[in-house]
Amino acid sequence: MASLQAPARRPRAAGRPRAARWRRHAWSYAFLVPAALLFCGFSIWPMLASWWYSFFEWDGVGAPTDWIGLDNFRDVLGAGGFWDAFWHSFLFSLAALFIELPLALILAILLNNAWLRGRNVYRLALFLPVVTTTAVVGIVFAILFDPIRGVVNTALTDIGLVDSPINFLGSTTTALPTLIGIDIWKGFGITLIYWLAALQTIPKDIHEAALIDGANPRQSLRFVVLPMLVPLAIVILLLVFQRSLNTFDLVQATTQGGPNYATDVVPTYIYRFAFDPFLQAPRYGFACAAGVVFGVMTLLITLLQAPVLRRQYKAGATT
Amino acid sequence: MSRTRRTLRWAAAASAVALTATGCNLVGSGEDDSNDDASGENVTITVALVPDPPGASEFYRAQFDQFEEDNPGITVDVIENPTDQQLNAVELMFQQGDPPDVFRAQAEGFDRMYERGWTHSLEEFVTDEFIDRFPEGTMNPATSGLHRDGELYTLPLVTGKWDVRVLIYNEAVLRDNGYDAPPETWSELEEMATTITQNGGGSVFGYAPASNKAAAVEMLAQTAVPYSVVSEGIDFRTGQPATASPGMVEAVELHRRMQANGVMVPGWESWDGSRAFTEFAAGTIAMYPSAPWHVAEIRKLDPEIEMGVAALPVPDDGRGGYTPMKQPFQPIWSMSSETEHPEQAWAVMDFLASEDFHRAYYEEFGTLTAVESAWEDQAAENPDQAAILAVAEEGMRLVPNPKLATPGGAAILQARAQRPELKHTDAAVDAIINNKPFLPIAEALDAQIQTFLDETLTELSGTATIDDITFPSWDPLENYTPEQ
Repeated sequence: MASLQAPARRPRAAGRPRAARWRRHAWSYAFLVPAALLFCGFSIWPMLASWWYSFFEWDGVGAPTDWIGLDNFRDVLGAGGFWDAFWHSFLFSLAALFIELPLALILAILLNNAWLRGRNVYRLALFLPVVTTTAVVGIVFAILFDPIRGVVNTALTDIGLVDSPINFLGSTTTALPTLIGIDIWKGFGITLIYWLAALQTIPKDIHEAALIDGANPRQSLRFVVLPMLVPLAIVILLLVFQRSLNTFDLVQATTQGGPNYATDVVPTYIYRFAFDPFLQAPRYGFACAAGVVFGVMTLLITLLQAPVLRRQYKAGATT
Repeated sequence: MSRTRRTLRWAAAASAVALTATGCNLVGSGEDDSNDDASGENVTITVALVPDPPGASEFYRAQFDQFEEDNPGITVDVIENPTDQQLNAVELMFQQGDPPDVFRAQAEGFDRMYERGWTHSLEEFVTDEFIDRFPEGTMNPATSGLHRDGELYTLPLVTGKWDVRVLIYNEAVLRDNGYDAPPETWSELEEMATTITQNGGGSVFGYAPASNKAAAVEMLAQTAVPYSVVSEGIDFRTGQPATASPGMVEAVELHRRMQANGVMVPGWESWDGSRAFTEFAAGTIAMYPSAPWHVAEIRKLDPEIEMGVAALPVPDDGRGGYTPMKQPFQPIWSMSSETEHPEQAWAVMDFLASEDFHRAYYEEFGTLTAVESAWEDQAAENPDQAAILAVAEEGMRLVPNPKLATPGGAAILQARAQRPELKHTDAAVDAIINNKPFLPIAEALDAQIQTFLDETLTELSGTATIDDITFPSWDPLENYTPEQ
């Protein structure tokens, strides 16, 4: 019954105190120092600082001195504009999870087929929007969707699909779906690459074994590929969720949160209170509080997914 | 010790020394990188500005090259900041201990800088000759808009008349639709815009509200109610909230009706500040209320366009207010309080306020600058500019400015500026786009403004009262003088 016993701990090396181990790995730690310093300076410190600033009525200049406790958080939680922006951010994420993710997986499976001719060209074409500057994307789509001379409206009216031009980016009902569509188009390539990378982790032998066992392509996909993708799919899901929740540049370049805040997302909401040139008195403390609340909410939503994802992960890992 | 390890240790030591040196430099060595003027050597003056309007980068460089030629010993180093972030960028420079010697801070932006003690008084440099460059009476410390606590702190670029708001219209489009003159009243505006849009076949529209914030509402409302109702939601004659004033409400309702009836150009809801003049130059819009600088931009885009410039239409029951002239000038150029070369910085500022510079700026951009002698003869012969001046003459009035009147007034308005949600703008756009009656929204805003006033006056108790923003003798149809 040796197999049921816990593996024996590696005995502590006699005569090798901790200091000796530190000396032995000193260079490793030394090489880690620059990265650790940069990480602390550019990730940890700003995060901690934003927590600290959020307790002050502060315009961003000089040292914050006007301590107001939790007032900024109360203001944020009571601001209808913040929750509207949060909902819009959340819609970006939902669309990414339920539209972009499965679509990208389907295309990745197609493009992973070694027999498909020109698959690298297709991959490149789908990846191009990812490397295109978002500001340029925003301007181009604003021109394409323009209700007066835009190509899209001209085509739609010419073929008789609509009677009058659609005000894609100027209407409170169509602006957000339009931006979500552009965001999916823009981010699709990177999600596709994630999926392709995940697909390529599945050993060929397993495909061949399934084939020998008589599985057809659909069965191979259903019972071999998808279960084996689950652990990586969870990582991809979280990455896509985080990316889409933080959409900023596209909205700023296209609508600046308008019309009438119909496309306002949390990052543009924060930006407006901290940096908007039309705001005569910047509210950095409030903006920091909004950022903290948004961060906490994101964390909570991610944690809410955790039990389900963990179950799926285990199921996938043991398949 | 192996050779490799010794080499690595030397490398680490060298890196540490280099990093330490870099670190010292990053936190500031305390030494000035510009040359010392005491030795008679060259002095570098840093000027932070914005490359606005288009072509300004080249213009400023050429002007400063000329300045350097005329002033050997002074080099001007230009730092360009993005228009939208100019204040933040300059503030950051101050925070990092590397402020510019001269910087651009416009309008309220100047007060942000002044309140932080970052501006240098210019009083010691001012001469009679300098004051005489500007129109008579405009440099009065009590009203100029450039003085604080009686001292000159900032210099202007444009004339106060440049704050006028005009109606820009396409004469050819109006003529094609049977109109030989622009609208004079709001109902004429609505009727003409409706007709033009109906006849435009989806490619020409009668009217645009200027930008995604429906700036036209504000411009038209200023012809109906005292300016303070539009800008602050408060009637400075009474010190009471007044967003629900009939004229203010009707200005929004006019736009709501035109939006609901499809009269306004579609897509304006997502326009930035430059889109209106671009579309006008393309012949898409027949009329729109605007700031006067759009006129020159339209001419640049289409020199042949049949463009007219007229006074804004007024309410059908008569005018209730004018475009405000709160002060003769808007602040633009300031000197840093931390400059180590105030004499040389002033030389640069003096140049920026010279007749030569203002003439060059006018000739390059068509802007009516603060030194009027630089352009008044030429402007009189330019139909566009003559029209703008005529509208300014007729359509502007001096108004009370609590910010300049008393410290209490300044404190209340400063507190008000921190509550942008109390202004009508977002609510008006919401009403227009979503076809909501504006009166109940305005009444709710007034209730919030009253609460704000009560709370603010309690907080500022002892330093400000409602009297600081109340001017009972002010008639919005007449010029106001501080003595009133």
